[in-house]
Amino acid sequence: MSLAIAGMGWVTPLGSGVDAVWEQLLAGKQASATTVSEEFADRVYSAFRVPESALKGISHPRLRRASAISRFAAAAGLHALESAGLKLDSQTAERIALIFAISNGGVIYTKRFYRDIVNTGAQAASPLLFPETVFNAPASHLAAILGLTGATYTLVGDGAVGLAAIKMADELMQNEALDYCLVVGTEEIDWLLCDAYRRWRLLRPAPPIEPYSEQNHGIILSEGAGAIVLARNGFVGIECAHSGGCFAKRAQAEEILKGILRDLGQAQIDFVISSANGTFIDRAESHALQEVVPNALVYTGKPALGESVGAGGLWQIILAAQALSTKEIPPVLHADHGVRLRLSLSRTPVPSARRAIVLSCGLNQQTAGLRLAIQ
Amino acid sequence: MAQTGTQKSTENAARVAVTAAGVVSPLGFGLAETFDSLWSARDCVTQVMRFSVTQCRCKTAGQVSDARLLASAAETPRSARLHRASHMMIEALRQVLTQRPEFEPELTVIGTTSGGMSYGERYYRSLKRPQNLRHAPTWIANYPAQKPVIDAHTAFGISAPCQVIANACASGTNAIGHAFECVRSGRYQRVLTGGYDALAEMVFVGFDSLQASTPEQCRPFDRHRSGMVLGEGAAVLALENLEVARQRGASVLAEIIGYGISTDNFHITQPEPSGIGARQAMEGALQNAHISASDVDYINAHGTGTVFNDAAEGKAISALFNGVPVSSTKSMMGHSLGAAGAIEAIVCLVALQHQFLPANINFASLDEDLDLNIVENETQPAVVSTTLSNSFGFGGTNAAVLMRKVPPSPRLSGQTEA
Repeated sequence: MSLAIAGMGWVTPLGSGVDAVWEQLLAGKQASATTVSEEFADRVYSAFRVPESALKGISHPRLRRASAISRFAAAAGLHALESAGLKLDSQTAERIALIFAISNGGVIYTKRFYRDIVNTGAQAASPLLFPETVFNAPASHLAAILGLTGATYTLVGDGAVGLAAIKMADELMQNEALDYCLVVGTEEIDWLLCDAYRRWRLLRPAPPIEPYSEQNHGIILSEGAGAIVLARNGFVGIECAHSGGCFAKRAQAEEILKGILRDLGQAQIDFVISSANGTFIDRAESHALQEVVPNALVYTGKPALGESVGAGGLWQIILAAQALSTKEIPPVLHADHGVRLRLSLSRTPVPSARRAIVLSCGLNQQTAGLRLAIQ
Repeated sequence: MAQTGTQKSTENAARVAVTAAGVVSPLGFGLAETFDSLWSARDCVTQVMRFSVTQCRCKTAGQVSDARLLASAAETPRSARLHRASHMMIEALRQVLTQRPEFEPELTVIGTTSGGMSYGERYYRSLKRPQNLRHAPTWIANYPAQKPVIDAHTAFGISAPCQVIANACASGTNAIGHAFECVRSGRYQRVLTGGYDALAEMVFVGFDSLQASTPEQCRPFDRHRSGMVLGEGAAVLALENLEVARQRGASVLAEIIGYGISTDNFHITQPEPSGIGARQAMEGALQNAHISASDVDYINAHGTGTVFNDAAEGKAISALFNGVPVSSTKSMMGHSLGAAGAIEAIVCLVALQHQFLPANINFASLDEDLDLNIVENETQPAVVSTTLSNSFGFGGTNAAVLMRKVPPSPRLSGQTEA
């Protein structure tokens, strides 16, 4: 592959800005949980939300009525372009493709739109809200803000969709008419989402997320966005994007993950950014990691940042790129120390680290992997 | 400006064959029934009974029969839990694998807009009546947009990775276009592609709230057009490297030769009025295929029947093409959103196979601001070698795919090809 990361943007419950969030992760900080409630329900949930300060300075007429998911994406996308040193004019805008990775989409406006139908009837449905319920609304807002006129795609999937978007970017960048691909993963939180994940037996009532635990207590949902500018040159190269595959039953995930690790692990791997999040994924990942890359250091950022599903894959890639370029790995929070993995349990220097794998196993049957290398 | 596909030299780019195709739509199940409905220019739009439409302006849609859909489904508890979108995808894939049992995809690229939306609706409504939440875990697990694709994979033992594209109403054509590029670049030999969407109350009411849907018949490009009607369905196409397919003796139904994509940033729901976005997508497809506009024999228009879409698309078509026959088959089956581009690719395939122009029904007189050669109301026998299919969506997403009839291979002249 001849793809590299040229810029990154990050909007998280720990704030925005790649360096600022990274410093907090290195210091072992965890996002603060907030309570998510719903007017017609008694039950409340805990979630990691993006502080309003993280979106400071992001304004555009297209975002005036847009949902949080679109504002997170715009902020992360603009940060990524800025960090890549890209100033868009009509010529460069023609040579950029945009790919969005989304899982749950604009759930806040979707619920509001449907609530009006249920409560009052179809005549109460808002024509202003409906377009914001569409999966590609965030992508269309960012494309309009940036003046992009070429290929724009929104990919939908589970937590592995961010890596699938990188794979798609790799395919698009075969086109020599493209110089850059901006890949954005984004997600927003609503009570409805928390309730759905609880009924699916994947959500725990309150933090912490305990990765690699035998108990599988579940996730805490989070929101935000991650954005990466891909170019043919950059500070971290993407050596290989692995499409993974789909598992029909959870018990099959481990074998697919092993296959991904075997394919990506043909070079010396220094560390792995895992998608462990306190669910069945952890067992599948830890078994696969133990067997295929037992000497690699392992880190998951989900206890600190939460499970942001559609944005999660992009967050993992940002974590890997930061670890490769700063030569440090943050501590894995709340991990089961008994697990037979080389976990980064404290802020760990990795001065000679050159290669990393990003491994992603989604909650809804998708998997993917990526191998990064410092240039 | 549109970005066309892989800019490889013609001799290096692989040719991309469609070697099997399956479809479930209001026109019927499979290519033969689809041909029958198209040939007879059948109006397959019916009264919506699935949910209440009493407060909606529009009361009709193109619909797939549940009885028929479930008749072909496996009688297992798991099958009973699946969303009807999954059953549509399973049936469409079953048709593909019946034609090509040996087809093992390396990748699946599918377009959709709504996933298992009606399960999400049931879940939300049931939250207001908590005693009815027993099935909530099933609804939630079967709601995600990728689930019908994975269900179809699972039904036939496929574990290939899938990319689910949600580019609003252009999703199906974007999926086919991207799958085409994947094979054309040589990175993949076999890719499944297509699109699906099942009718859902929220989406139906949404288009009604925009006054995009019509209480009357859908009459694309007509002077008195008043909007769209929704539809539903699924279509799956097996794409392969054409030379490899021929070497192993596979029939080639058609060849995909070009893809164009563009984004216009005019408005989140309306096209740029001059049709520049649509034009760029079509130009991109022509450049990508290295053909000229005069090589196109038939255009299957996006043609929703809305005032704005048809005006913009009509201008774009007449600016690029000189008298090429145009029809919107949405007049017969409605607009199936994420499935539309895939089903309409099948319509083009059938037109190439059977050498006819599908009709634009409910048509009385052409919009006086448009200069188009509409296939008015009746199917027309014709020599059709190359087709263009357009799809445009919310967010200013525009896509076009070119397909052509493949002459029999001179090296393998005894084999059957469409």
